[in-house]
Amino acid sequence: MIISKHKLFDPNGFSWKVAYCFLLFLGSLFLYSCKEKEVEYSNNNCKVSPPFINKLGFNPANSYLSTSDGQKIGLVLTEAVDPNNLAMGSTRTYQDSSWKMAGWLAPIQIDDKGNVFVAPVPFINVLHNPARQQNTLYKLEGQTGKMAPFINLPLPDSINSNNPFGIIGLAYLCESNTLYISTVATSNRQAEHGAIYEVDAATAKITGKITDIDVLGMGIAYTDGHRKLYFGKARNPAIYSVMLNKDGSFSGRPQPEFTLEGLGPRGDDKVRRIRLDKDGSLLVYGMEFNFNLIAPREKQEMLYHFVYNEEERKWMYAP
Amino acid sequence: MRLPSLILFFIILFFFSCQNNKSNTGVAPYDNDVLQSMIIDADTLKTFDFVDAHVEEIKKALKLPVPVLLCKDTLTALQKEAQAIALNDSVFIQNIRQPLTKLPYRCEIFGVYPARESDMSYVKVSYNLPDCYRVEMYNYALNTASVAIADTKQKRLIALLSQVQAQPDIPAYLKTIAIKIAIESPEVQKALGLKPTEKEALMASTKTALNRTRCERSRHLCVAPTFVKGDKALWAIVDLTEYKLVGIRWTNVGTNGVVTPVTERRLQDDKITACFCEQETLVERDGWSLRYMLTSSDGLRIAQVSFNGRPVLQSAKLVDWHVSYSGTDGFGYSDAVGCPYFSQAAVVALQPPKLAQLKDDKNNIVGFTLEQIFRSEGWPGACNYNYNQRYEFYKDGRFRIAAANIGRGCGNDGTYRPVFRIALAAEQNNFAEWDGSGWQNWLQEKWQVQGPATNYTAQNYQYRLLDNAGYGYYVEPGKGQFGDGGRGDNAYVYTTASKPGTDEGESDMVTIGPCCNTGYQQGPEQFIEPDPDNIQNKKLVVWYVAQLKNDDTKGREYCWAESLLENGVYTTKIYPCFCGPMFIPIK
Repeated sequence: MIISKHKLFDPNGFSWKVAYCFLLFLGSLFLYSCKEKEVEYSNNNCKVSPPFINKLGFNPANSYLSTSDGQKIGLVLTEAVDPNNLAMGSTRTYQDSSWKMAGWLAPIQIDDKGNVFVAPVPFINVLHNPARQQNTLYKLEGQTGKMAPFINLPLPDSINSNNPFGIIGLAYLCESNTLYISTVATSNRQAEHGAIYEVDAATAKITGKITDIDVLGMGIAYTDGHRKLYFGKARNPAIYSVMLNKDGSFSGRPQPEFTLEGLGPRGDDKVRRIRLDKDGSLLVYGMEFNFNLIAPREKQEMLYHFVYNEEERKWMYAP
Repeated sequence: MRLPSLILFFIILFFFSCQNNKSNTGVAPYDNDVLQSMIIDADTLKTFDFVDAHVEEIKKALKLPVPVLLCKDTLTALQKEAQAIALNDSVFIQNIRQPLTKLPYRCEIFGVYPARESDMSYVKVSYNLPDCYRVEMYNYALNTASVAIADTKQKRLIALLSQVQAQPDIPAYLKTIAIKIAIESPEVQKALGLKPTEKEALMASTKTALNRTRCERSRHLCVAPTFVKGDKALWAIVDLTEYKLVGIRWTNVGTNGVVTPVTERRLQDDKITACFCEQETLVERDGWSLRYMLTSSDGLRIAQVSFNGRPVLQSAKLVDWHVSYSGTDGFGYSDAVGCPYFSQAAVVALQPPKLAQLKDDKNNIVGFTLEQIFRSEGWPGACNYNYNQRYEFYKDGRFRIAAANIGRGCGNDGTYRPVFRIALAAEQNNFAEWDGSGWQNWLQEKWQVQGPATNYTAQNYQYRLLDNAGYGYYVEPGKGQFGDGGRGDNAYVYTTASKPGTDEGESDMVTIGPCCNTGYQQGPEQFIEPDPDNIQNKKLVVWYVAQLKNDDTKGREYCWAESLLENGVYTTKIYPCFCGPMFIPIK
C-alpha cells in the first residue's frame, strides 16, 4: 500500500526557519510499503518502489519522495529517521539535477514498474512555473531516476494569464496501466476549459478525454461492482464519478456523487485527493482552492470520510 | 498605531455603486445579485445603542473569577445546576483564559438542554438520561465550541467535547440582537425599500455551523437574518462577535429550498471580482480624472490619469512584493497582490478599493486617496501578510504613489521590497537627478539607489521629470517626512524607455523577480541590461523599489502587527511601514 504523507505546519511551535508556506497541493509519497509484491486490483494497489531508490543506497522503508519541501524546488528524496514521525528529521536527502527542471511540482503517481509521474504546479508565484509549461507531465524512469517530459497535453496558442494552473490532478489504474490527468489550463472565471485525459502510461498516448470540466483531485474506487474514477470539481465542492472499462477507457458521462458543501471549517473545500480506504470507505482530502496562489500557513488539508450506503446506493458523510 | 488612527486624515466618502462609473473589460458580468451586494466597510462601522447593555454585561462577566457569561435563556433549576457543575469543572473551563497572561477570553454559555441518547455515545460511565444535561459554551476569542454532559444526580461532568472553528446554537436573545442589527442597518432598509419587521427576519437563529452562513475570514460568530421579497431573499450577514453588519446579498429563493449559502468570503470575493477585477471604475474629482481596477497580480492599477485635463500617467501599479529574510540565504517569497479568483496573487483583496477624503494636519480637505488592502486570511499570524496600497491625489496637482507592509511575515529579520511601475503619459520626457548644484539629465536607461550620500534639493527633491512642453514633476522620495510613520525608502529607482510594440510591463506582469536579491536586481534591470537605451525625449517608465526592514523591538515596531486580547476577543495592533514617492508639479 502506498501512503501519501503531507507535511503540515506544527501548530504548537513556530520557527521561521521552517515556517515556509505550505501549498496543500504539494505532496509526498512514502515508499516503504511499495515492497508489497501482490497486486490488489480491488484496492487499485500495484505500485512498486522505484528501483533507483535502492541503487542510491536509500532505505525504501524509511524514504519518501516529496514535492512539498518549501525551500527546495522540484522533487526531493528524503530518508526519514522515523517514517511515522517526520518531526524527527531525516538522515539524508537526495535531489537529482533533473528533478528541478519543471519548477515547483505537486501531484505524484507511481506505476507498477516504479516509474514516477509528477506534474508542475506554481507555488506562491510563477517565477519558476511559466504558464505555458504547466500542461506537461514528467516521468522519472524507475530504473535510473532521471526525469524527463512524458507528455505535453494540448494547449491553445493563447492562454489565460490570470489562471496560473495547468495539470493539477493525477490518478492511476493498475489494471490497464492508465494514467488520468486533470488539467485546468486556459480555464477562466466564465468558462471551464479543463479536461481529464486518459493516457497510456507505457506509451504516453492519449486514449480518451472528458472535456469542458475543471477537475482538481481524483481517485479510483470499486463500487457496486464497477471501477470508477471519482473526482472533485475545481470550482465547487462537488464530487463526480465516471465508470471505467477494464481497459481503462471512460464509460458514459460523469455522474454527481456527493458534495463537501457545508462540511469542515471552511464549508466549501475542493477535493485535493480521493483514496479508497481498506474498509471500502472513501477518504476525501479537501482544501481551499480559488484558482489563485494564496498559500496560507494555517490552512490545513481536511480529511472527510464517506461510507457507501448499499441500500440507498449513495455515499454518506461519516464525521 | 491602531487601525482607526491609521486613517486619521482620511474620511471615507463612499463606495461607488457597481453600476456607476464602470466600464467592462470584455468578460461576461456577474448577475445583478452579485453586482448589487454590499460589503460593509469596517471603517464606517455603525454601532447600535441596543447592544450597549449587553456589552456592559460582557465586561462585568470578564471580571468574574470564572469569566463566563451565564446562559440568558430561561432555565429550570436542574438546568442551572448543570450549568454550575460545568463551570466548576477545571477541564471544561481550562481554555477560558489566555495561558500566559491569564487574561479572560470572552466565553458564554449558549444553552443548557436535556441530554439526548445521541449525546451519550462517548459516555463511559453509567447514567440516567433524564438526570443529564448538555451544556454548550462558546469561546468568542478562539471561535471554539465546548460541550459538556452534566449529570445532575452524580453532580459531575460525564463527557466533554471541544471543537475549534465551531459554534453552538445561539440563544434566543442573540437571535433578537441579530435581527435588530439587520433591521436597523440602513443598507438592509435601502435594499428592501422599507424597514422590515422582526417577523420578516427569517432564519436568524441559523448559525454558521449549520451551513447557513459563515464568517470564514474574521472567524467570528455570524448569523444571517434573511428577508424574503417575492422570489428573492436578502441575506444580511451579522457578526455577533462585533455586533455589526458584514454585508448583504440577494439570492433566488429557489423551488426546492436548496440555496448555496451566502458567506462572508463568498460575498467579498464575488463582489470584488465583479465590480473591481472585471470592470474599471472612473473617478473624476478635485481636478483629477483616472480609472482604476484590481489586477490579477499587479495590485490596484490606475490608468489614464490626468489633472485639469492634462495627461499625467499612462498607468501605475504595484508589480511585486519581494520579501527576504536575512537569517537564511535565499529564504523568502515574491508575493503578488491582486484579485481573489483566477489570479496569480498570493495575497488577495478582501475588501473593495476605498476612496476617502485627504486632509492636512489642520483638517483642511486637500484632496482624496484611493486605497486597497490585500491580506492573508490568517493575518496577523506568522507567515501571513498584509499589504496596503495607497494613491494620494492633491488639489494642487501633487500626487503620491505609496504602499505599506503591515506585518507579520515569517520572521523579525525581513526586508520588504515593493516594486512600483509608474508609466508616464507624456510622449517625450527627460529624467534628471539633482547632483547638489543642478539637474543632470540621465542619457540612458539606468538605476540608482537612495542612500546617505544622495543629494536632494532644499525641498527634498531628488529627481525631475520634464516633458517637451515644459510640464513635469519633481520626485520626492520617502525620507520619513510624509507623516505616515514611514522611516525612509532607501529606494532603487530605475528609468526605462517605453518601447513601441514591446510590452515591458504595461499589461499584467508575471513575477518580475526573485524574493531575495539584496542588490539592484529586483526585476526592472531586465529592461535595461545588457544594452541600455537612450531615454532622452522618450516616453518613460519609472520603477521605484523601496527597501523596508521590519522590526519587532518593543517601541520601535515597523512593518509589524500583533494580536491583543481586548474585552475578551482578539484585536490587531499594527505598525505599518509606508513608502513611496511624492510627485510635485513643476510650476
